[in-house]
Amino acid sequence: MSKAEQTQYTPVDASPVKSFFVHMLTRDIKLEEAILDLLDNCVDGILRSKRTNNNTKKPYSGFWAEIEFKSDSFSISDNCGGIPWSLHDYAFRMGRASGRSPDGPGTVGVYGIGMKRAIFKMGKHCLIQTQNRSDAYDVEIKPGWIADEKEWHIPVRAAKQRMQQDGTTLVVGDLEPGISNRFGEDGKAFKSDLETMVATHYAFIIDKGFEVKINRDTVKPRPTRLIFDKRPRGAKKEIIRPFIFKTKTHGVEVFLAVGFTRPIPSEDEIAREQEEKKYSSLDAGWTIVCNDRAVLYCDRSELTGWGEAGVPRYHTQFIAVSGIVEFRSDDASKLPTTTTKRGIDASSQLYLQIKNKMREGMSIFTDYTNKWKGRADESRKQIEAGTPLSFEQIKLETARLPFNTTKKSVPAGEQYRPALPMPRRLEPRNRRISFTKDIDDVKRVAEYLFEDADKDPSAVGEECFDLILKDAK
Amino acid sequence: MPPAYHLRLNKAVDRLSFIEAIRFLGQLASLSGYTYYCLGGPYLEDCRLLYEFYPEIKMVSVERREEVYKRQIFHLPCGIVDLRHGEFKSFIAQYDPKDRGSIFWLDYTDLEFGNFEAFMALLAKVAANSMIKITLRAEPRDYLKRPDLFREKFQALMPNPSANPPATSDAFADLVQQMTQIASQKALPSELPHMFQPVQSFYYSDSTNMFSLTGVVCPRTAQDRVERAFKDLQFANLDWRRPKNIDLPILTTKERLHIQRLLPCNTGAGRILREALGYLTEDDRQTTEMKLQQYADFHRHFPYFMKATP
Repeated sequence: MSKAEQTQYTPVDASPVKSFFVHMLTRDIKLEEAILDLLDNCVDGILRSKRTNNNTKKPYSGFWAEIEFKSDSFSISDNCGGIPWSLHDYAFRMGRASGRSPDGPGTVGVYGIGMKRAIFKMGKHCLIQTQNRSDAYDVEIKPGWIADEKEWHIPVRAAKQRMQQDGTTLVVGDLEPGISNRFGEDGKAFKSDLETMVATHYAFIIDKGFEVKINRDTVKPRPTRLIFDKRPRGAKKEIIRPFIFKTKTHGVEVFLAVGFTRPIPSEDEIAREQEEKKYSSLDAGWTIVCNDRAVLYCDRSELTGWGEAGVPRYHTQFIAVSGIVEFRSDDASKLPTTTTKRGIDASSQLYLQIKNKMREGMSIFTDYTNKWKGRADESRKQIEAGTPLSFEQIKLETARLPFNTTKKSVPAGEQYRPALPMPRRLEPRNRRISFTKDIDDVKRVAEYLFEDADKDPSAVGEECFDLILKDAK
Repeated sequence: MPPAYHLRLNKAVDRLSFIEAIRFLGQLASLSGYTYYCLGGPYLEDCRLLYEFYPEIKMVSVERREEVYKRQIFHLPCGIVDLRHGEFKSFIAQYDPKDRGSIFWLDYTDLEFGNFEAFMALLAKVAANSMIKITLRAEPRDYLKRPDLFREKFQALMPNPSANPPATSDAFADLVQQMTQIASQKALPSELPHMFQPVQSFYYSDSTNMFSLTGVVCPRTAQDRVERAFKDLQFANLDWRRPKNIDLPILTTKERLHIQRLLPCNTGAGRILREALGYLTEDDRQTTEMKLQQYADFHRHFPYFMKATP
């Protein structure tokens, strides 16, 4: 009898195991990103509650979230409306059930794993207390529940007392050893990283009034500002302004702006920055925002079009070039994000189309940078004539800009293409001369010309040239 | 005009406190196995002192500027200092500890992100029980009108990246210390077996505010041992407390000899020494007592500068 005849084949068990959620899914996300997922839930709570005032510049004003961590616990509290009992199936279930309608306009939750993944990433014990109008209940996840492969129901009890405002408090204890170390031994470095991440990824929402505190310090937003020359176009045709593109496609509104954040760097500055890193942070690159939350910050890779299709690879000379793309949809599943919500789904059809526009806009500014190379001083005057504007301020300015409709290109939309000043002569009038000479000889000539052996060598070279030029004339 | 480098009182005390800390390092491993690496400056003052106290320690000085390097050759205090001419950054790239203990003094005169990068690179390279001292400019007035520049430069190391740098010298020195702590946590995160244990930190001004921190790279499992070894070091800072100020009074030799016999005092040294002198050495009583307390604290390290006619 063959082996196949002996074995009774029965349907196999393909049900999920808890360790998949607890130990596997949690590896796909950085701790900082997991905490941002929890902040996303706070903001989704505000949007669900429909209590924002969209007619003001600060629609999130009055809403806050407070994060506290130490070596033995993590907590996040908010006044963002709480979790309605009607949503418990989505909020506490591992993954989003198919057929479930979108959560609400402007939210970003799609997969139904953010909060659970963040909890399991950090520890084995969690107490969630939430209040939404008449609903007020506590959910407790204990280590025993996590270890029990058969038990999938989480106990819920009515809250013993009501909170002052609708909101949620989530406390994680029994921390994983690595997490405990990051909150404790490495706590200062972790707070610095987390605060920077919140300041950059939540810049738009904080700018709109949302308040985030980390270990009692209020986070200030760090928005990217693009140079916008507000002088009327007639006064000067060529002007430094961002390239802007906007469209509505696939149920998603897209607004893109790319331009300069600062004057282009001089050759000396480029050389110095390459030799020794002078700044710990740079605004250069692309920031992608989905429903007000940055999912990618200052990216300078092929993911955002650098080094592709005629756009040069990122290099320090492009330190001034920065862009922002905003995707906005009432259905979060249409946004081109990954499950971690801190990355772009590079294969998304929508994103690939918009990336064409990103490259198109970016090349205007890389081309300008190349054209004015060696003439940074002249270019500086043009750029400094403009004002750094935030993304929201640029949106307000668009009302006065002449947009062209692009119907035949993909994606169709409206765009404003600035005419940047270009050098009158393609070749600069000035030429850079550089050469090296023996240090003792340089000192000798410096002493001869300036009676100062330590004179800057470039001044020595320049003086030599000027003397000979006088003779030559 | 700031006083000449080798005549800076407070810096001299910081330097001698470092020499003292090295003595305590000897409890972790024999000092004869260590090599001292420094940015010695034109007079190699630290090498001279080190040779005086610990002749068994080998020494290497790295200098970028050729004329200073030549001056170092002229001032060589002994035959065991290996003078190198080159960039310190390049030296760190080539540095191979070969499992031997190192003592580094990154004696910078400025505050740049690159200084922290060099410190972080060293933390990741040195052998266990190595000592690193870093000195940085900590001058609040540099950024008083340019807080954005400070954030651009140092955001990645700031404990509160949203905040402006403080305007007072003590708070600014504390900020630089916290940035150094964050740099150490990033270079040696808790997943790694080694850690950076601080042992001493000061701030002082000899016309420019400076911050100076000394610590030991050790296995995490040996942290208690390092803490025990340094617990009796004067002004030990084993838990990242705020740095201690060094702000010594200008006293004549006659005044010093007069109050010397009353030292050490356990409590109220400022008052006792003021009463012994019988007059105020500063503008008011409080400042006089504060400065005399400083003298009591650091009198063992207070140098005598004598004028001599050659």
